[in-house]
Amino acid sequence: MSVDPGVWIAAILTLAIFSFLYKDNPVYKFAEHLLVGVSAGYYLTQYTFSAVYKKLIVPVFLNGEWILIFGGLLGLLMFFRMNRKTEWISRYAIAFYVVAWSGYVIPSILQARVLVQAQGTIPVTTGSIFSIINAWLIMIGVLCILIYFYFSMEHKGVLLPVSQVGIFFLMLGFGASFGYTIMGRITLLIGRFQFLMGDWLGIIEKL
Amino acid sequence: MRELDTSAPIAKRTIWTRLMAVDRRIIFLAVALSVALPLIYPIGLPVKTANESRAYFKEMDQLNAGDVIMFSFDYEPDTMAELDPMSLTTWRHAFRKDLKIIALTMYAGGTGVAERIMRQVAGEYGKVYGEDYIFLGYNPDWSGTMLRLGESIKATYPTDQYGTPSESFPILQHVDRYGHIKLLVSVSASALSEYWAIWAGGKYGQRMISGNTAVQAVLIYPYFQTDQISGFLGGLKGAAEYESLVGIKGEGTRGMDAQSTAHALMVLFILLGNVGYVMNRRRRTQ
Repeated sequence: MSVDPGVWIAAILTLAIFSFLYKDNPVYKFAEHLLVGVSAGYYLTQYTFSAVYKKLIVPVFLNGEWILIFGGLLGLLMFFRMNRKTEWISRYAIAFYVVAWSGYVIPSILQARVLVQAQGTIPVTTGSIFSIINAWLIMIGVLCILIYFYFSMEHKGVLLPVSQVGIFFLMLGFGASFGYTIMGRITLLIGRFQFLMGDWLGIIEKL
Repeated sequence: MRELDTSAPIAKRTIWTRLMAVDRRIIFLAVALSVALPLIYPIGLPVKTANESRAYFKEMDQLNAGDVIMFSFDYEPDTMAELDPMSLTTWRHAFRKDLKIIALTMYAGGTGVAERIMRQVAGEYGKVYGEDYIFLGYNPDWSGTMLRLGESIKATYPTDQYGTPSESFPILQHVDRYGHIKLLVSVSASALSEYWAIWAGGKYGQRMISGNTAVQAVLIYPYFQTDQISGFLGGLKGAAEYESLVGIKGEGTRGMDAQSTAHALMVLFILLGNVGYVMNRRRRTQ
């Protein structure tokens, strides 16, 4: 069993969070509020050090890169949101951010998520028979799903069975996503159990 | 499963109605046991490797001693259980091959995670900070950081995490942008792997691999299929596969027994719930 006070505190807080599985209780609430408070304090410190100190105070006031002060002033405009009468001033900062972000994102996303993906959907004609079948299945699935989301015409006649095949492919996607999500959640539980039984109780070996 | 309907007449309760109304605390206890017991008494279920994990391994394994890789810890303590095994094995694999690592994080909460893993693995292999690896730390604005790293690492990070000028480190003497880095590795709990692929990969042609949480893995497959991400690990299973390829027994491999039993238990619960539902409906129609 661990003699590290930090491990003991973490173990007790883990059990406090687990107690919610029985029913809501004050011990759980304490642990929850403690987590929120500690996280807020940690992030405030990190952001202040990384953004305000390292990116503004050091370059502007210590290294004399005065041009960067405009970025700092733009950031300060955000604080005008706190007053209803002056909140319109903060929109200048938001507008700048939205425009800069759009400039970053739109061309890159179009390339990576639309053009390259569309290219990847077109079936390959080389490789093993399985990769060719797989490529055709992907293309059929994509087309059927696109037709399922095509609402300009009523889904009847040819469109009806095609859109139903689209639903089938969507279900496959959701099923895979659900399976992975379960795996993720169980892994979080495994992680806590490994901590409790390994780091705290010493029942299992630490790898 | 819904709560037990205590207002229902006792006489109407059958095994099928009881199956539909198992107390959730019994289910929680069963899941806890299905996870705890295999950790204490490992079953040793085989780990079959998938294409994406083999591709991840191959990208790492084909690098030569002295090559520099960039490793981004794009996660925080909430997903350590899934992603720590990937990070640990990647660092062990890299140091075993004498690769040099430039580490950073795109999350404010990732610095503590990164420092713990670097300290542990560097200690195991006797690696020296500044020569074999460096930690640049957290930089606000991940989008700007990813783009600017393509122009200059030293301009983006004038100092390392601890305030020492970046240009003073031997590892950064001949390395200052993506073009000088053989491989980018992002172990991520969010869409950051995608953005690395879009900006570092799409704009600068940087080859990259990623490790992802299970929830995120489904979204990474299209990038893997189009070779925008050259290999990836999905969740704890991906970590276990990579461990088996590298030949290291880690938390991923050990966790897979518990993962499998918990999944089997859930399938059993789903089956029982459905059997109860069908039988109840049949009784009512009769």
